[in-house]
Amino acid sequence: MLDLLDVFERADAGPLMKDMDYYMKRLVPKLQEVIRRHEVKWDKSTIVNTDDDLIDGVFEAAVDLIAEAGAYCPDTNRVMEFSRDEVLRAAEQAPKTARFGEGREAKTMAGRKLDDVDAVPWIHVGGGIYTTDEKIYLETVEGLASIDIVDSLSVPSILQMRGKDARVRSPQEILAAIKTVILAREAIRRSGRAGLPIINGISAASNAVSMLAAAAPQFGLRPSDGFLIDFLAEMVVNYEALQKTAYFNSISANVGSTSTPLFGGYGGGAEGNAVLAVCYIIMGVLIYRGNYHYNAPLHQNLRMSSTKPLLWAIGMSNQVNAKHMQRPMVNLPYLGGGAGTEMFHYEMAAYMLTVVPAGGQIFSGHPAKSVVPDSLLPHDHRFHAEMGLAAAKLTRAEAEPLAQAFFGRYEDKIKTPDAGYHYAEVYDLNTRKIIHDDYIRIQDDVRNAVIKTGLDVRPS
Amino acid sequence: MDAKDILTETSEALVDLDQDKVLETINKGLEAGLKPMDIIEKGLLPGINTVGDEFEQDIKFLPEMMSAAMIFQEAMAILQPKIEEQGGADRKVGTVVLGAVKGDLHTIGKDIVKILLKTSGFTVHDLGMDVGTFSFIDKAEEVNADIIAMSALLTTTLVNQRDLIEALEGQGKRDRFKVMVGGGAVTQSWADEIQADAYSDTAFSAAKAAKRLVGRG
Repeated sequence: MLDLLDVFERADAGPLMKDMDYYMKRLVPKLQEVIRRHEVKWDKSTIVNTDDDLIDGVFEAAVDLIAEAGAYCPDTNRVMEFSRDEVLRAAEQAPKTARFGEGREAKTMAGRKLDDVDAVPWIHVGGGIYTTDEKIYLETVEGLASIDIVDSLSVPSILQMRGKDARVRSPQEILAAIKTVILAREAIRRSGRAGLPIINGISAASNAVSMLAAAAPQFGLRPSDGFLIDFLAEMVVNYEALQKTAYFNSISANVGSTSTPLFGGYGGGAEGNAVLAVCYIIMGVLIYRGNYHYNAPLHQNLRMSSTKPLLWAIGMSNQVNAKHMQRPMVNLPYLGGGAGTEMFHYEMAAYMLTVVPAGGQIFSGHPAKSVVPDSLLPHDHRFHAEMGLAAAKLTRAEAEPLAQAFFGRYEDKIKTPDAGYHYAEVYDLNTRKIIHDDYIRIQDDVRNAVIKTGLDVRPS
Repeated sequence: MDAKDILTETSEALVDLDQDKVLETINKGLEAGLKPMDIIEKGLLPGINTVGDEFEQDIKFLPEMMSAAMIFQEAMAILQPKIEEQGGADRKVGTVVLGAVKGDLHTIGKDIVKILLKTSGFTVHDLGMDVGTFSFIDKAEEVNADIIAMSALLTTTLVNQRDLIEALEGQGKRDRFKVMVGGGAVTQSWADEIQADAYSDTAFSAAKAAKRLVGRG
């Protein structure tokens, strides 16, 4: 595999090009060409793919796209080019395991195979896009860490200093990122699971300076946690990302590449987003040396990932990973419904059925369209992890009709999702007991309905 | 072929993203004596609206929208001089200075808004991403803009939208420009709080809001 300096030099030496020329004259035509070349086609009646030849076609299309379009570095206005051999070698050498956590919470996330009904998936919960008031931050994160079946956490962000939002790139942002890390680690310690890893380092840091500052060991993060480095949509690798790559590889930390291909954007529809999602899985190894990946395709306009074509594309990218790479990967579900709503739970049921039998790990959901501050409810996340465990007992063929049934339960609400609950509505802030009867009733009703439909979601 | 057929062909060719055919039917229409404004209003605009509808329904995507907008502009390069020759009114409905605020590197949503503003008849000056407060204002003054439109995807960049309004007030220019805000982090309540003139949660509603702001909606 290429060493890091070789990779960084590609950003300084590739062809010079305006960003719009890269998108419209290079990326978009090449993407359409590789989709045709490898006959990648979504059958609009399906959510969960069961055609193994199609998996190979998507993989080949992704390899060709990286080799023929490259990635774009906006800081140098150059295309980072890679040969087909370099791309294939990165896919072949993609790490199949990643070790996270400390002490008795230390555990290995291993890439899964297709239809692997015996291997228990990694269980990851939480979410970095939730902004959470400092007053309930400790309780919220402790609530997540206290879910006994959980292997790792994404912790929410504190974006305020003394009641004001920290401005991006400001000194206050560095302090907010540090505060987020310190409080998250303390909340996890209070749960009695001090070694539990945080693998969305660092949610409150929007730039490399904040991230590197808050990653200093005296604030509580360790190389055995996980640090995220993102690709910008589409196929954009900026210097900030390469700076993080240089640093976190230098301290031998777990590095998570992350990407949000945008449905409706330059990648187009289902086929383009499946191919792009696979490109990012490979490029996460090739460019960032990531040993795990966050896969987070998103609908550009609807701001959710639980539409039918996106479920197919996300499932397909997991299938390609499971068949060709088995890179440790969690999937980040952006959901339309607000926290605790019926729609929110059915979206997660459909998402888990798409991803887990496809070889993916379990990740609880994030309300994205209806996300509001202080809406991270730990009890939702336990329920969604339980859904993932139930989905792990099914093959793709068994998952497909269930995914269709659960998609049908929220399809008509996609453009007008229900608002969700806040932490303070659902939990007693002193006892931390759930006090909202409707919230519990909705979850119980959905659990009973999904069990009746065939997804055996038992309380853990 | 009668006038109606020519206009239908123009519209369909635009939906098919067939630039040669669009330009061919426009020239055919002009030769047949059709008024340039009729070709725009009854041929090109129904076509671009269909492309927009298909974009909203996930039938067409950003690259197709951009191609349609480019074809539309090529067509306008033929029709606009004819309109001026005939003493007709300029189709331009206003000028917008557009960009993602300081600290924000996300541009796809802004790019879609740009296309829709252009095809709605606006002249758009796109300043790109990570745009400073005074860069917006300086450009708006330079081009005598009607509207300054800012996007912000990250919560931590929202404050830059408020700064722009504060800067306009500080310079005594608040009445000179309408201010539109949008982007993933923006809500109606935020727009109300900072006293923006318009907020849009989709690119399509942004184009409609812009027309309303200049009294053409």
